[in-house]
Amino acid sequence: MARGRLRGKGELFALGVVLLVLVAFPAGIFGYQAWRTASAGVKIVNIVARAPEQGGFSPDRLSLRVGETVRLRISSPDVVHGLTIPGLGVNVDEIYPGKVVEVDVTPTQPGRYAFACTRWCSVDHWRMRGVIEVTGAAGALLPTQQPPLFQQLGIDIDAMRPAAQATPSAPPAIAAGAALNAKLPQDLTDPAIRRTLPPAAAFHDLRADPTNATLSDADIWNLVAWAWLKDVPPTALARAETLYTRDCAACHGPDGKGQGPAGVNLPGMAKMDPAMPKGPADFTDAGAMLAASDVLLQGKLLRGGMGTGMPEFGSLYSDTEQWAMIAYLRTFLFEK
Amino acid sequence: MRYAISETPVIKRVLRSRWLQWSLTALTLLFFVLAIIAGLAGTPAGNRNFGIVFVWIVWWALLILLLVPFAGRLWCGVCPIPAPGEWLQRRALVQPRPGGKLYTLSKQWPRAFRNIWLQNAGFLGVALFSSIILTTPMATALVLLGFMIVAIGTSLVFERRTFCRYLCPVGGFIGLYSQVAPLELRVKDTAVCASHTEKTCYTGSDAGYGCPWLVFPGGLTNNTTCGLCTECLKTCTRDNIAIFVRQPGADLLKTTGHKLDEAYKGLIMLACGFIYSTVLIGPWGVLKETARAVGTPGWFAYAGIFLALNLAVFPGLFWLAVRAGSIPNPKYPMSRLFADYAAVLVPLGLTAWVAFSLSFVLINFSYAWSVLSDPLGWGWNLLGTVGLKWTPYIPGLVPYLQVPVLLLGLTAALALALRTARQYGQSPWAATPVAIFCAAATLGLLGLYLA
Amino acid sequence: MIRNTQHAIRNTQWLVGGITIALVLLALLAPLPAALAGGAAPQERHITISARSFAFEPGTVRVNRGDTVIVNLESTDVVHGLYVDGYGVATQAEPGRPGQLTFVADHVGAFRFRCNVACGNLHPFMIGKLEVGPNLTWLRAIAATLITAVGALAVFWKH
Repeated sequence: MARGRLRGKGELFALGVVLLVLVAFPAGIFGYQAWRTASAGVKIVNIVARAPEQGGFSPDRLSLRVGETVRLRISSPDVVHGLTIPGLGVNVDEIYPGKVVEVDVTPTQPGRYAFACTRWCSVDHWRMRGVIEVTGAAGALLPTQQPPLFQQLGIDIDAMRPAAQATPSAPPAIAAGAALNAKLPQDLTDPAIRRTLPPAAAFHDLRADPTNATLSDADIWNLVAWAWLKDVPPTALARAETLYTRDCAACHGPDGKGQGPAGVNLPGMAKMDPAMPKGPADFTDAGAMLAASDVLLQGKLLRGGMGTGMPEFGSLYSDTEQWAMIAYLRTFLFEK
Repeated sequence: MRYAISETPVIKRVLRSRWLQWSLTALTLLFFVLAIIAGLAGTPAGNRNFGIVFVWIVWWALLILLLVPFAGRLWCGVCPIPAPGEWLQRRALVQPRPGGKLYTLSKQWPRAFRNIWLQNAGFLGVALFSSIILTTPMATALVLLGFMIVAIGTSLVFERRTFCRYLCPVGGFIGLYSQVAPLELRVKDTAVCASHTEKTCYTGSDAGYGCPWLVFPGGLTNNTTCGLCTECLKTCTRDNIAIFVRQPGADLLKTTGHKLDEAYKGLIMLACGFIYSTVLIGPWGVLKETARAVGTPGWFAYAGIFLALNLAVFPGLFWLAVRAGSIPNPKYPMSRLFADYAAVLVPLGLTAWVAFSLSFVLINFSYAWSVLSDPLGWGWNLLGTVGLKWTPYIPGLVPYLQVPVLLLGLTAALALALRTARQYGQSPWAATPVAIFCAAATLGLLGLYLA
Repeated sequence: MIRNTQHAIRNTQWLVGGITIALVLLALLAPLPAALAGGAAPQERHITISARSFAFEPGTVRVNRGDTVIVNLESTDVVHGLYVDGYGVATQAEPGRPGQLTFVADHVGAFRFRCNVACGNLHPFMIGKLEVGPNLTWLRAIAATLITAVGALAVFWKH
């Protein structure tokens, strides 16, 4: 009989197998993962996307350098998320639980870039945001950023405004307004001025103008609708519709009535004044919407917040997108 | 009517080799380690995690659809859970120590627990939390790790595979249902054993270890406690042990002498089959949420109902059925009748679990392909299959598989009920209330799957 | 003598067993007149199913055979899907983005529909039920079970 702890080559081999299974195999798993990261050729940044109650994006602040390509390795442990980094042109429509998504980014300009989740992942989905700080030498000179129009004009977004006194009896039609072939005053053709006017005020002005005396009230409303939407290209409206479905419909509803499932418990304007209705705004409410100028809507869209439950979109929407969105909101009241 | 399949020369040589069982065990240990690592470090998304897909879908399907009905406790022979503990106990991996010596405190398992009551309790514990364990990789990993740690500890303190024999919840029901299998390990001729003084099959020898399941093969008449590890095949100096292919369910033909702990196991399995089919597979979302919300008042109510069904309602109804049948001729104590009639629950329960498993295994099996390429959900693609989408397999045909399986179980159960009545000298009418119980259970299950 | 009796008993058992199996197969497989599958005229049914983790509301949907079923899937919390067993059709939805599913309910029976977009732990058990017409499969199964029970008792009675 052989003495000693290991008898025969068979036992040695068997021990080797056991060590392989219990030690080398686990080491190999973690080693392979480390090798994958190291041999990728680019710097890898792991982002875990969780429902905001469990932490949201981890990490939610990244630091990148101009000209450096970084591979974002994004995964989700719970539900479907999405990721958009508008300033860097990143749009991942689906981060499926357990499936890793890899996206390469190479920032070209320094600055702060917001990123956000784009699939409804919890009641706090709208909080699921992050920031990427890009440092380094600037490329071509950027135009200096102007503050948004509502800030320039010093509009108080939160002030209570009375409902429009005159509202159309039937939905104004843009095409009908175009067909009237009327001449619009400069107020309404110059976007810079028109944006500061509520549509109800435009109606009032057009109604008071003697050259429009022969037109009916309905015709005047059609003119207003046309004035607001005649210069908006179809591509812009299509883009706004996509953004609306992605970001707004969950609370404001696909029909704009403010009864989306995610908006049921939000305070809305009742936060400012308990007499106001709770919940997200109803874009089909003519009294409220027609008394709001485009620049006021811009303020609410870009700044959101103040405890109403409305998120801020200033960090996510470009200038073009925000005006397109406001034009799109008008289409809940104005028909084609 | 049985055929000694292990006598075929090729098979005999393979079974005599110590490497076969050992290498299969090493393989299952590999999968086990991967399942634990995946559970601890991999994605918490269950359907893309090896720990969930390969334990609760692939391994479970293999076990309940193939291994147990056709090969009895064969899984126990290659199970990785007791393996490290056993290797430590033997201080050997493949080649045995001289005389089959074991290095353990070799304490005897307390007499009071030499039954499957602890296994019943363990199974109820796992089943109560199943809505979390079956869907959360971390929970699965901790349960598996816990089993292995207990197994190792038990191996160092107690003799042989005490864990497998008296503690493992899986072994509890595999043992019970292995009575249905057409495979058995028995001695060829008991007279040979009588004249063999050394009984190396139980004490061990230079060729191998004594039965790790603390069973004397010469007295083995039932599959319940034999783990098909083939140690006795290697140590018997008279070549008197063989593996036979036999009539399915032969163990159940002797319907007297059954014990209460096994009767309760049968009832628990049936009750849990009903509960799983209602809570997990049914369309009632509130039940699933309650089952998952551990610690809430609703969950305590659920736990109470769960335990009541398992320990009181199903046993109570069965007791009534047995009692009703024996009223005309109450000669025998109820405890004996109860335990012996409970044999009907073996085919009934096994087919219930096969039918239940069919309802989710075929639907979710396709996750296995992508998980093989990316076991931890880390973005790997080892085999190129990571993009394969979830595809339910033959969902429309599943009811057509469940019905024949359940009817087969019902037929066997009724045959056993009548046999029990006869072996007790009762009129066949004594078995009819139990028959009604079985038919009602079958209808209930079919209602949950088809209605 | 005794052997003949035993022979006779065994033959009876085989006979009864054979009859039972034949009746069970008949109960399960015999084609039924189409009228039994539902006489009501097919209509268009608009059903809104609300999905949340981990249940569908309503959990059970009943339609007649031949109905055109238009499902509007709405989600109240995260991205969910809906896949119908036996029909193989699917859609998905999230808050604000409902999904639409249109199909003709030409297969009779009870079919499970399930979520097919991972939505959390209990996702594999997020299940609802679609009942099309009278549930003939279930009725057949009841008949088959009762026949089996009586037949098995008869075969193994062994007086």
